[in-house]
Amino acid sequence: MPDTGYLPKGKIKDFIKELAKDAIVYAPVLEGETVVFGPFSEEQELCLERPANTPPKSVIYPQSETLFTFEHKKDPEDHQKMSVELKAGIDAPGTVIFGARPCDAKGFIIYDRVFINTDTPDPYYMKRRENTLIVTLSCTAPFSGCFCVAVGGSPASKEGADAMLTELPDGYLIEPVTEKGKAILNKPMIEDGSSRLKDAQQVQQKAHEAVKNPFAKGRPEISPELFDADSFWEQALSKCVSCGACTYLCPTCYCFNITDEQTFGKGERIRSWDACMFFHFTLEASTHNPRPTKFQRFKNRVGHKFVYYPEKYDGAIACCGCGRCIRYCPVSVDISEIVNDLGGGGQKQQTAGSAKND
Amino acid sequence: MPELTGKELRVVGFLCNWCSYGGADTAGVARFKQPTDLRIIRVPCSGRVDPLFVVKALLAGADGVLVSGCHPRDCHYTDGNFYARRRLEMLKRLLPFIGIDERRFHYTWVSASEGQKWQQVVTEFTNRLHQIGPLHAKKENEG
Amino acid sequence: MSTEKVKEAIAKILPDVETVICWQGGFDAVHATPCFITKPDEIDKVIWNPLCAQNLTSYLPSLNKKKVGIVVKGCDSRTIIQYLQEGLIDREKVVIIGVPCTGVVSVKKVLKEIGHQPVADVAFDNNGNIVVKTSKGEKTLAIADACPDKCATCQYPTPLVYDHLVGDPITSDKPKESVYQDVREFEAKTLEERKAYWEKELGRCIRCYACRNACPMCICQDSCIAETREPHWISQKLSLQEKFMFHMIHALHLAGRCVECGECDRVCPMDIPVSKIKKKINAEMKELFNYETGVNPDDRPPMFTFNVDEVKIKEHKI
Repeated sequence: MPDTGYLPKGKIKDFIKELAKDAIVYAPVLEGETVVFGPFSEEQELCLERPANTPPKSVIYPQSETLFTFEHKKDPEDHQKMSVELKAGIDAPGTVIFGARPCDAKGFIIYDRVFINTDTPDPYYMKRRENTLIVTLSCTAPFSGCFCVAVGGSPASKEGADAMLTELPDGYLIEPVTEKGKAILNKPMIEDGSSRLKDAQQVQQKAHEAVKNPFAKGRPEISPELFDADSFWEQALSKCVSCGACTYLCPTCYCFNITDEQTFGKGERIRSWDACMFFHFTLEASTHNPRPTKFQRFKNRVGHKFVYYPEKYDGAIACCGCGRCIRYCPVSVDISEIVNDLGGGGQKQQTAGSAKND
Repeated sequence: MPELTGKELRVVGFLCNWCSYGGADTAGVARFKQPTDLRIIRVPCSGRVDPLFVVKALLAGADGVLVSGCHPRDCHYTDGNFYARRRLEMLKRLLPFIGIDERRFHYTWVSASEGQKWQQVVTEFTNRLHQIGPLHAKKENEG
Repeated sequence: MSTEKVKEAIAKILPDVETVICWQGGFDAVHATPCFITKPDEIDKVIWNPLCAQNLTSYLPSLNKKKVGIVVKGCDSRTIIQYLQEGLIDREKVVIIGVPCTGVVSVKKVLKEIGHQPVADVAFDNNGNIVVKTSKGEKTLAIADACPDKCATCQYPTPLVYDHLVGDPITSDKPKESVYQDVREFEAKTLEERKAYWEKELGRCIRCYACRNACPMCICQDSCIAETREPHWISQKLSLQEKFMFHMIHALHLAGRCVECGECDRVCPMDIPVSKIKKKINAEMKELFNYETGVNPDDRPPMFTFNVDEVKIKEHKI
């Protein structure tokens, strides 16, 4: 079997249909002007020209999921006696994420450290992760706000993917990354890609060089003094409106909330995304709130991604540079600019190509 | 909400304590025959009824909502129902815009002595809802 | 453009205020972003052009302990008037620089026109066009075609309240009847069509609350009932019911208060036409009470008051 495959552009829908034979395929589809990852069906319009508005994180890590249901039951013999019946199940059908960008896939690597590679793995996340095949599409050009190369990523990074597609003029080169990914080369519409590998690598290299690196030092460096200076944050975040758009659109944000929703005698325990940008995120039962202002909350956002997470996981940055938080921020707060300023500011580098020269 | 047996609908009524709740009571004491679809929630005044109560009820499973207070100029708190009238009229005009049949929502004024009128309001409103049918498709695992 | 005149006006008022809220260039050529000027040497970064779409007045209530200056367009000034009606800001503590505006640009519409390509550069010519450069070439769009819907029916191009006006006042050439035409057109659809429309649009909502937080009239902010457990209006489930409920909370709390600035539409990352529900309510406020938000500081919002005899409200028969 060849090491790489080739998928002609005209056969992409057939290919997805083929994948959908034994799995639910989530692909970027158009809803009006919005691109979202939805279960793919024939009627929908596939959109691979630009990154989706939302990352595919909800496929493996849903915005809201029932952990278990509970029901209080009365003993028929003795009505004083009550018991609680719990029912838990993990809904994790075979799934394919098709057309995610390399940054989106990297998000799952960041989650894996927290939800899987720990003493207390999360069964819900783990099961879905195991049952999901991730087929990424490398970016041929950077998008507005992208800075993946500055945080250890690349528009053609295979990290987190099972297989990666690279767009060529008439089709896609498929490079499998894992054993799971290799299996898709067996699909009938896939041709041998070996002769096109070189072309694809050129596309990838060109894309890599075109991505802007917003950091003067080439990578995020944070001065502890500035990081702890309230005045810095107050000034940098005066325009923030403290909504959750950046967090909910972020492929690497994973904080959650757990609530019980119950009616008479029965209910369910729900885990849902939470956002550190909300006042209620740190609100304590006593009504004290250790992070009452928006700048403190944003400091946590930056801190988690660029300071605390790297401290805990061998320097890995919990930001994939997808640029969604910049693009979709109501007031254009630019996290890359803030992180650069935290390193002392300075002239930004133009592209990754020039970054390599220092 | 629990599953209903037979063909009964879920109708929620927000009744002010001073007039309409009394009116419903009068109708009951006089043993006027009324449909049993209505569940009454007593509120201090129709001015207490946040239009969101109605929306929440309709979204959470009610097939219709009825709000009733003292007649204008007869409010126990002088002007609570004047505020209610503006809010509820606004809501009535908004509901069809978001795809909810405005006939599922009715607001009216019934005094404590108007047992007969109360019977008429409930009967006619419930009949209307039965004509339109239920708002929510029955969920599979409900009940 | 009168950027220089705006800068002059800011320089003039800066000694009297702690900060001046205005716009500067954002992370790319097509985005403007708010800036808070506190020192004269910062004035240089100020911009004034059709990219300055954001309504900056939403920062005012939280800053109103300080004396602040602000640059407003005609539509933005309606928010200030609404704030004054509701006693949310102290007029003495705001210095308003008004700029007559012939229409701003909707970034979403521009991106749609250029196929969502990254924008390399943006320029404005003298014929009311925006010229957008991308790696694929250059595209010229009439601002009238790339403006937010509110501009197409704008009645108040010149601010209704200001201390300093930059340039000469201009009057609207748009017919007054056009303002709620879109609402009436939507109402011509059947009930089922309307229901399906909202289920599709609101179904995309991710409940990031950007529409709420960017809304100048959403003044509860951190105390919003959408996030309380007591009373428990909305659960953390991701059902359509919860999404509908949130948007109804937003709309009903803005009944007779929404100034139609369109911030909610502008900021929605999922492109949901959030303002439409509020606009419908405003249309009814106009019809029922002949009330228009944010035009007269002495008005009272219609939900804050009543008439014993309501001329337009008739008792409903079953």
